[in-house]
Amino acid sequence: MFKDARDAQIAFLALFLLLGVSTRDWTLHPSLLLATIASCLLAQWLSTVLIPYAQQRRLGAAIAPDTRPVPLLSLPGWRSALITSLGLCLLLRANSPLTMAIAGCLAIASKSLLRYQGKHFFNPANFGIIAVLLLTQNAWVSPGQWGAEPIYLLFFAGAGCLVLGWVGRWETSAAFLVSYGGLEAARSLYLHQAWDIWAHQFSSGSLLLFALFMLTDPRSIPNARGARLLWAVAIALSTFVLQHQFYLPTAIFWSLFALAPLTPLLDARWQAPAFDWRAVYRRDRQTLADG
Amino acid sequence: MNMKTIGRAAATLLLSLFGCVALVAPAWAFCGFYVSKADASLYNQASQVIIARDGDRTVLTMANDYQGEVKDFALVVPVPVVLEEEQVHVGEPEIIERLDTFSAPRLVEYFDHNPCDPVALPAPMPQAPGAARGTANEALEFDDAESLGVTIESQFSVGEYDILILSARESEGLETWLRQNDYRLPENASRLLQPYIRDGLKFFVARVNLEEFEDGDFQRLRPLMMAYESSRFMLPIRLGTMNATEAQDLIVYLLSPRGQVELTNYRTVRIPSDEELPEFVEDEFGDFYKAMFTHSYDREGKRAAFLEYAWDMAWCDPCAANPLTPEELRQAGVFWLNNLRPQPGQPRRLPAQPGPQNVFITRLHVRYTRDRFPEDLRFQQTANRENFQGRYIIRRPYRGEMECAAADPYRQQVRDRQAREAETLASLTGWRLSDIRRKIDTLPTPEDPRPWWQDLWSGRGRLNPG
Repeated sequence: MFKDARDAQIAFLALFLLLGVSTRDWTLHPSLLLATIASCLLAQWLSTVLIPYAQQRRLGAAIAPDTRPVPLLSLPGWRSALITSLGLCLLLRANSPLTMAIAGCLAIASKSLLRYQGKHFFNPANFGIIAVLLLTQNAWVSPGQWGAEPIYLLFFAGAGCLVLGWVGRWETSAAFLVSYGGLEAARSLYLHQAWDIWAHQFSSGSLLLFALFMLTDPRSIPNARGARLLWAVAIALSTFVLQHQFYLPTAIFWSLFALAPLTPLLDARWQAPAFDWRAVYRRDRQTLADG
Repeated sequence: MNMKTIGRAAATLLLSLFGCVALVAPAWAFCGFYVSKADASLYNQASQVIIARDGDRTVLTMANDYQGEVKDFALVVPVPVVLEEEQVHVGEPEIIERLDTFSAPRLVEYFDHNPCDPVALPAPMPQAPGAARGTANEALEFDDAESLGVTIESQFSVGEYDILILSARESEGLETWLRQNDYRLPENASRLLQPYIRDGLKFFVARVNLEEFEDGDFQRLRPLMMAYESSRFMLPIRLGTMNATEAQDLIVYLLSPRGQVELTNYRTVRIPSDEELPEFVEDEFGDFYKAMFTHSYDREGKRAAFLEYAWDMAWCDPCAANPLTPEELRQAGVFWLNNLRPQPGQPRRLPAQPGPQNVFITRLHVRYTRDRFPEDLRFQQTANRENFQGRYIIRRPYRGEMECAAADPYRQQVRDRQAREAETLASLTGWRLSDIRRKIDTLPTPEDPRPWWQDLWSGRGRLNPG
């Protein structure tokens, strides 16, 4: 049905947004959605088309006469930018379209500005969220917005497994969920707390959405499987501490932000080929042809 | 909003502790006027709490709706820190009623003008709005506290209450100690106390000092207020579910300098609002609101908290009550207003008219049971300054003489509107449509409508051959 795993991801995120607005009592102004999507796509165009184009015009001919000119009317990486913007629409809330636009621009800018050896290490949407939480006074995240209803959890889990199975990153989500659930279970045991409290904490729709769709961005997380497992466990541990020691309701976003710079270190320690969406697409086509 | 209609009055709803999106200027009261109210008396087991919070600083006020013998009253609340005498205060019961009246869901009404008259501008008619501290020194008996692992962190008397702040090592010890000191606890109390002890919480234990109570000539127990600093922004509800047989109602008024407050571990859902309802709802607004709340609560799987009001406290539209004065806000625990403390040597000056006050109120209504609300309520402040109110509208049809061409279309329009209002009411409350229709005073059809054949024989409908 989808040629690219990212198409599936875009479809699912758009569906979640639709579900949130229609069944979860979210009040999202269309202007905010529009500002987010437009700012992400515009920033993507600026960073992948206009700036390279200008550089080529200025220096290109002298340095590399064979370089093909960047066509101005193209938008490479639009899928990734759209995924980032949908992620922001789902998670970030703000009073003004300007705040959403700042989040969108900073999210996309982080991909080109914060790179190490050609790879960006911040999850763009997460970076945008934390940036506006830090820089502005009129943005927030609503961790309770999905509630804890089994039907949504099943839906998220199904959609997440489909996309993650495709890109081969399901173990990252699993490692995070198992370690976070384990830590919460240990805390419940220590507190002598009833188990339905643990079940309630663990069945938060926002937690599942984060674990399945934000934590697993294959382009920004460590390349080697072992490194990813370690990284996911570290994020779970940090989330647990921030939540229960510092009472931060948005602990998961801060943890991912704080630990993202570990990615280059882990990549240096455990080397593996970097993720390439086109490779996944080629592999699938090959499998189909062989089949 | 219809400029040609005039509004009149509105309403409120108050509940009991542990228990027009306003884009228009307030001057005209475009959103109609206050008609009737649905207040705390609607709910049998309701509690009310005010939480004023800025950063980590918190002032928690617990309304006391205790109905039994004063001598039997005891309150045990987990608190995040040890409180000293200066941090506990006895508040005024009226302040909770003020906040309730100000923020309660309201019914507003508009009157249709005579469709045969020239356009008349609306003429709004605003509605008028609507302790002594003693000391007690009688020490309680605290035998064996140490051997039971219970530490009395502090003990003092405030007003008619004797207060203890306890910490404990084990819940059995705490339960035994409380029982030994004549606190009546339900069965299995230690099972619920243990997680709080392990989580490092202390216990605020209050009892009524009978001498003080009688000397003070109080009609009822006054609210207890506590001021503390803690990163935990939560409200413990689990002890309240201990032996409750049915769902309990809790109304939380959250005051913040920033914006709306929402729950982080449950959904916060807006109560249906801005709905047009049949006229008869005015007489049974309380029943309507109760039925609608229950219907919404069921529809959300009994797992959501409801937002009933979110507004900048400097103004309101329509006002169910005047905005609180700075002095009243201080009584409600607001501590961040600069003009509350007089400068040394200067008399206190309070503005005569309420002005911008940098206080945003969020009114949450939580109906909780042990199975659907297993965790304590955890909150967060957001930057969301969008105003919201539970507001319901009655449109009064014009029932006088109408003699013009516009009269018939108007009557039809009103009848269509009345049909829509009936359907809205049925879908909001789950009431039967046929019962609702019976109660509606439907606008009569035009008198003696001209029979269709009349024009045929009278010649008025005859085709003109020329």
